[in-house]
Amino acid sequence: MQRFEGQVQLVLYPFALNPTSEVATQAAWCAGEQGKFWEFHHMLYRRQELWNRLAAPLERLSDFAKDLNIDAAALKSCVESGRMQDRMQADKAYGQQLQVSSTPTIFINDYRIVGTQSEGELVRLIRQELNHARPQGQ
Amino acid sequence: MAKKSKARAQTLSPRQQSPQKPLTPRRWRLKLVIGGAVLAVALGVGGLVRFLQQRDLAPHLQGTGDKHYTQGTAGAAVVIKEFSDYT
Repeated sequence: MQRFEGQVQLVLYPFALNPTSEVATQAAWCAGEQGKFWEFHHMLYRRQELWNRLAAPLERLSDFAKDLNIDAAALKSCVESGRMQDRMQADKAYGQQLQVSSTPTIFINDYRIVGTQSEGELVRLIRQELNHARPQGQ
Repeated sequence: MAKKSKARAQTLSPRQQSPQKPLTPRRWRLKLVIGGAVLAVALGVGGLVRFLQQRDLAPHLQGTGDKHYTQGTAGAAVVIKEFSDYT
């Protein structure tokens, strides 16, 4: 992202494929209410193996939240209230509308990429889209 | 009688006499050309299907992003939408 500063915007759509991931997604948004979305987001990947096989991961995720100076009780209560459910379902519906069926799926403008790609390949595709966009902007 | 049947046998065409005859180089070449053409068409169809899958022209892809966490510049020339699962 830093490499393309001012030219690229990343929009994140957490796309939960199972109940465990649904809890994590809602927890990330609840962390966002405390201004710590990205920190929590990165933490979820960093410590993925410590929680992703748990059927009910909220307790563990709340513990992780403390390490990020997040109010764990508020985060837990936010998830349990279910107030992020609609948001999650809306993103899921949007993904399905775009025929997203597996993750990661990335759209670089209109160009769809399914599956993990190397950084080099992503950079190449971003450059390609920037080259397409430039003449239109002039 | 034996003489007559021998004469009849001689009237058979060369093809009838040797049905197991190996293919001539010319027929092999024809088979290779046809096989190559079929392979090229299959690869072409496969490539086209992959291209169509990759290229999404849905107009509703644009103009979303509200209530979502973003990084980078709003209104940038390139918008990356990432759908990812935490597990």
